[in-house]
Amino acid sequence: MESLNPTLVIDQVTKKFGDFTAVRNLSLQVRPGRVFGLIGPNGAGKTTTIRMIVNITVPDSGRIELFGETMHTAMQDRIGYLPEERGLYRKMKIGDQLRFFAELKNLTGKEADERINSWLEKLQLSKWKDKRAKDLSKGMQQKIQFITAVIHDPELLILDEPFSGLDPVNVELMKQTILEKKDEGKTIILSTHQMEIAEKLCDDVCMINKAEKVLDGRLREIRHSFARNAVALQFEGGDGVLNNTELVASVRQNGDDTEVLLAPQANPQTLLKQLIVSGAIVKKFEQVEPSLHDIFIEKVRETS
Amino acid sequence: MRKFFAVVKREYLQRVRTKFFVVATVLGPLMMMLVTVVPIYVANIEVGEATRLAVVDQTGKIAGRFREALARERDEDDVEADPNSGGIPANSNRQDQMKRTAELSSQDFHVEEVALANRPIDQIKRELNERVRANELDGYVVIPADILEGGKAEFYSRNTGDIFTRQTVARRLSTAVREQRLAEKQIDQQVLREVNRRVTLSSTKISERGEEKVSGSGFMMVFSFGLLIYISVLMYGQIVLGAVIEEKETRIAEILFSSMRSFPLMMGKLIGVSLVALTQLSIWALAFGLFAAFGVGMLAAQGVPITLPHVAPIIFVYFVLYFLLGYFLYATIYALIGSMVTTTQEGGQLAMPVVLMLVAGFYFVFPIIRSPNSSLAFWASMFPFLSPMTMMVRITTETPPVWQIMLSLGIGVATVVGLIWLASRIYRIGMLMYGKKASIPEVWRWVRQE
Repeated sequence: MESLNPTLVIDQVTKKFGDFTAVRNLSLQVRPGRVFGLIGPNGAGKTTTIRMIVNITVPDSGRIELFGETMHTAMQDRIGYLPEERGLYRKMKIGDQLRFFAELKNLTGKEADERINSWLEKLQLSKWKDKRAKDLSKGMQQKIQFITAVIHDPELLILDEPFSGLDPVNVELMKQTILEKKDEGKTIILSTHQMEIAEKLCDDVCMINKAEKVLDGRLREIRHSFARNAVALQFEGGDGVLNNTELVASVRQNGDDTEVLLAPQANPQTLLKQLIVSGAIVKKFEQVEPSLHDIFIEKVRETS
Repeated sequence: MRKFFAVVKREYLQRVRTKFFVVATVLGPLMMMLVTVVPIYVANIEVGEATRLAVVDQTGKIAGRFREALARERDEDDVEADPNSGGIPANSNRQDQMKRTAELSSQDFHVEEVALANRPIDQIKRELNERVRANELDGYVVIPADILEGGKAEFYSRNTGDIFTRQTVARRLSTAVREQRLAEKQIDQQVLREVNRRVTLSSTKISERGEEKVSGSGFMMVFSFGLLIYISVLMYGQIVLGAVIEEKETRIAEILFSSMRSFPLMMGKLIGVSLVALTQLSIWALAFGLFAAFGVGMLAAQGVPITLPHVAPIIFVYFVLYFLLGYFLYATIYALIGSMVTTTQEGGQLAMPVVLMLVAGFYFVFPIIRSPNSSLAFWASMFPFLSPMTMMVRITTETPPVWQIMLSLGIGVATVVGLIWLASRIYRIGMLMYGKKASIPEVWRWVRQE
């Protein structure tokens, strides 16, 4: 995998709107067959970056290379794009609509029809084919929109907030579908605020804040590098042990768990020993890696 | 190219399938029928019974002639119908049409002479009033003894609003009085009729191609061509505006731009909608043609005389050309406006000046119909935003030299090309800008930037 050429290379890209810099000196690489998470707070420049990747807008400076070539219009047919702001023609029938978008991706009518039927079936929407978009629920529209992004079997799939508006069952369905695409060897760029989902799906992550990249790499490595001296606890008794400032930096309640951030040089084993000595009944003692959520918040605070 | 055709196809099929299109297409000719044929038809309905008139003749000499005059089908005083048409020309203005129709429909009169028997006139009038009230009579005419000198008579009736009856009575009474006067001067009726016979004027139009039999493109015809261009350009321009705003509002634009360039997208949209318009106009033309071929005959068989003006086929060609010119001019501007605004309401506001320009073009139609070769007419038909209506009117009234038509088409096409170039630079940026309306300086910056 490592030896393959990257699907997407963004090199020193800057995009300004008037005086406002939406993306500054951004460089990143997306490797084929991986799920790449593009995360960052609202207004960080994610959508602008994505728009440049799909050739809706052009960078002011820098270079974007896709499939080993400089960006050009014909490449748009090899990308599937689910924008954050989505829309369907309200009064158009779902079948007609999907066919139109498929034709916009250079599919012939016959090819399109076969794929439309199989996708509708897969996402359990077949009986809605002759309904108009306005008669569908938001979640259903969302799935239809997803079909428009994958109908031409693109090599690169860019999904901007694909889970918003979906119920848990459909979130699961969507996750499965995305992983299937990955298994087919497609490259996926996923932009989302739902960190728990990103955590489960993404192989690599790039975080943008205030137009600049603040974090980039394999998710596992990132989490490892952020690994703090922290444990999740469930216990009874043992009062006073957590007040030891030599051992404990901060305490936070997280559901049933008590999350304890240890002092820099402290050993988790010492904490466990002290708890037992103090007569506490320890039900759970687990060393934790920081969640993407925590890393996100920490990085945003750090760079703001 | 497949993408471009996909856009054209979508615009076309989605619009042609709407209820609005079907209704507008069907209602169009129906409305035309309603304003042209129905008034004639209704005016022609004979309200059964004859009008019952009483005549109080204080001269004792007029009543007989009056009755005779009323019984006549037609009178010298009546307006002569156009000898070329032998019916009601559809191109005359409507009021005129109705009047003539009413006159042509022969009205039956039942005339009863009231014996004076030396009774005072007031008493007779009282008696007649009673009879009118009792609906034994519809009205009565009092002819004073000095009518030959004074020329005045009185008409009493239940329905003074029936101007047709009143006019007929007035005219026929005049005829009767005139005949009586002549008789007293010993002039023979026959001689008089000979002397009085009117001149009929047959008009022949001199055009580029030499003499032509009356084209009959009178006011109504010319006016409808102008009106039709105005209405269809306005209607389909608004459709383009709505379509563009929908794509912007729903953010479909994002997907569209991620799949194709903005220029073929915009052109596909404009062309798709233009095909819808042409479809509608063709259906209307077909309906008109069918009406001309069968409807006229059927109506004539039912006693409703109507003649359609003869229109040279080349005029239809010009019509399509000028419609397309007007459509592409205005629809491009509408597309631009749609890409600059965020809501339909804003779009409506920004489109106001455009609509006013169209309305101005429409108002120019009137002075141009009167003097189609004036310099005003010339310049108005060269100015691209007015020419679709003004030149069309000139062509239907007094076809200007071909070089003028070509020049005006040339200027128009050049303007359209320029506008589309301008629009394609603004369209993409405008479509992706959400949240606020674009200002003119901003838009100008986009034009220079791209």
